[in-house]
Amino acid sequence: MNRRTFCLGTALTTLVLPLPVFAEPIKATLYKNPQCSCCEGYAAYLRQNGFDVEVKPTNDLAEISQNAGVPAKYQGCHTMFVGGYVVDGHVPADVVRKLLSERPQIAGITLPGMPTGSPGMTGPKTQKFVIYVVTKEGKAPTIYASV
Amino acid sequence: MHSSLGPAINRRALLVGGTAVAASALFPRIARATAAVPKAIELTAAPGRASLVGSPYPRTNVWCYGDRIPGPEIRLRQDEPVRLAVRNNLPEDTTVHWHGIRLPNAMDGVPGLTQPPIKPGESFTYEFTPPDAGTFWYHPHADSLQQLGRGLAGALIIEEPEPVPVDRDVVWVLSDWRLRSDAQIAPGFGSGMEAAMSGRVGNTVTVNGGVSEEEPVRAGERIRLRLVNASLARIMALRFEGHRPIVVATDGQPCDPHEPDNGRLLLAPAMRVDLILDMQGEPGRRYRVVDDFYDELSYWLTQLAYNDEPPLRAHPLDGPLRLPRNPVPEPDLTTAERHELRLQGGMMSGGGMMGRGGMMGMGSEASWAINGHSMTGDGHVGVPPLFTLRRGRSCVLSMRNETAWWHPMHLHGHSFRVLSRNGAAVPHRQWADTVLVRPKQTVKIAFVADNPGDWMLHCHVTDHQASGMMTMLRVA
Repeated sequence: MNRRTFCLGTALTTLVLPLPVFAEPIKATLYKNPQCSCCEGYAAYLRQNGFDVEVKPTNDLAEISQNAGVPAKYQGCHTMFVGGYVVDGHVPADVVRKLLSERPQIAGITLPGMPTGSPGMTGPKTQKFVIYVVTKEGKAPTIYASV
Repeated sequence: MHSSLGPAINRRALLVGGTAVAASALFPRIARATAAVPKAIELTAAPGRASLVGSPYPRTNVWCYGDRIPGPEIRLRQDEPVRLAVRNNLPEDTTVHWHGIRLPNAMDGVPGLTQPPIKPGESFTYEFTPPDAGTFWYHPHADSLQQLGRGLAGALIIEEPEPVPVDRDVVWVLSDWRLRSDAQIAPGFGSGMEAAMSGRVGNTVTVNGGVSEEEPVRAGERIRLRLVNASLARIMALRFEGHRPIVVATDGQPCDPHEPDNGRLLLAPAMRVDLILDMQGEPGRRYRVVDDFYDELSYWLTQLAYNDEPPLRAHPLDGPLRLPRNPVPEPDLTTAERHELRLQGGMMSGGGMMGRGGMMGMGSEASWAINGHSMTGDGHVGVPPLFTLRRGRSCVLSMRNETAWWHPMHLHGHSFRVLSRNGAAVPHRQWADTVLVRPKQTVKIAFVADNPGDWMLHCHVTDHQASGMMTMLRVA
C-alpha cells in the first residue's frame, strides 16, 4: 500500500538528467517549501534565462538538501537538481551555466540563505554573493564563485 | 514537590485514586472541589519503540510516556484534584506542561521559570485541580523540538460532571513525524533554514500513534470527536468528506456550535477542536478525511469506515449540541489594559532574514522576535517580563503578524476570548489558549489576568518557539 510508504514524502528519485546538447531549455527540478513564494520568483527568473523548471512543493526540503550533500549551515531556501548537480538557493543563472559547462567533479553548488537582491529575491544587492561547492564526500565547503 | 514513587506504591496509589472517584460521585460539585484525596497517576518518560507505520516496516525508536505513542490518555473529572508523578527515564532533563489547564504557576512545567527541570532518574509530582472540562494535552517544555518531535505527547481529557449525550467519545491525537525509509526518525532537529520557514513539518501523519487506513464507525451514531494536533509544526486543514462536523469547543472551551468555514477545519500545532459528528453516511461505505493545508500536498489522514450494520437510529439525534460553559472569567473590554505584540522575523519578511545579517549563518541565532526581543531555546531565566498585569485585570492583546508565516500563539495559564481578525469580529464566542495568526494578520484576544505568576507566551510551531518567538508575561 503506497500510502503506508510515507505517502507525504516526495519520491526521492535520483535526478541525474542528461545535459542537453543543443540550445534547448535546460531541464531542472526545483523542490521548495509549499509556503515560500520567493522560490517561485527564482523559478520564473530561471525560465526567463532559458531553463525549463519544474517546481515541486515539499515539506521534506531539509532531507532532500541534506541527502544531496548540502551541509545544514549552507542550505538555501530551495533545492534544485539540474544536469546531475544540486543547486541550492538563489544561485544566478550565469553561475549555473558555468557549472554545467565546466562539469567539475562535485555534487553541486549552494548560495546559503536568502541574500537580498539575489535572483527571485526583492531588495537591493548589498554584498557579493558567495557560492560554495557542495562536495560528494561531505568535505568542508570551498568557494565556487563570488559574484 | 519532589518525590520518587516506586512501583510498590503504584498499585496502592491507583486504588486510592479509584476510591476518590467513587466517593466524589456521591457529593455535589462544591464538595468535590475540596476532596481530600487526589487521584494519583504515574507517568514515566522514557525511550521506547512504537509501530508507527506498521508492517513491513520496523518499529520506530521513539521517546514516549508510559511506553506508548501517544502517551496514556489521562481522563480526569472537572474539579477533581490530581497528583501526577512524572519520572524521567530520558537521557536528558525534561518537564511536563499540562497544555491549556488553568493551574497554579508552579505546576506549569516550564523549566527554569516555574520549576527546576526533572533530571534523568528523578521525579516531580504535579498537583492541580482542573477547573475546566474539555480537551487538553500534555507534552514536555524542555528541549521541545526533540522531545515532542520524538513522540512525547498525550491527551488530557477533563470530563464534564454530567456526560454529554453522545454514542461515543473518541479522541484522535494527530502527530506528524519525519521518518526515513527505515521508519526511523530523521535526525537534524533545529535546522536553521526550517526554523526560519515553516518549521520541521514531517512526512508521516499518525492517528493515535499509527498511520491510519480507516477508523470504524456505525451509521446513525453520534460521535464526539476530540482532535488534538500534537505536531511540531504541521498545520492541518481537515475536511470530512460526506459529513458535516459541528465545532462545539475550541482548545477545550465550549463555543456556540457551528460548522467550520467552508467545511474546512484549521488545526495548527497544539490546537484542539471538539466536534459533534452525526454519522449520516451509508453502511459499508468509506469517507475520506482529507488534509489539504499545504498547496499541492493534500493527502488523506484516514477514512471513516462504516460497518454494514443498519443505522443506529432513523434520524440524527436532536439532543443539545451545546456544551456546558466552564468557569472562565469574562474579560471587561471597557476597562481592559491594552498591549500589542508584534510578531517578527523569518524568511521573506522584507528582504532577507531577520537577525541573520540578511543571509549567512544558518546557525543558532534567533530567527524570530516578539517586539524586537528573541527568547530562544527553553527560555531564559531572569529576563524581565514583556509586561506585568495586575491580578484580576482584563487585558486585550493585539497580535500583529508582520511575518510571511503562520503562527499558532499559545498563552500559558489562561484561556482567552478570540475577539477579532483584522478588525472583523470572530463569531461563535470562541475561546482558546492557542490562536492561529495568519501571515500579515492581526488577531485580538482578551482575558482576565486572574492567575498569578510568570506565564510563557510563544508560537507553538516548535522551531519558531525555540528560535525566538517566545516571551513572558507576569500576573502579580
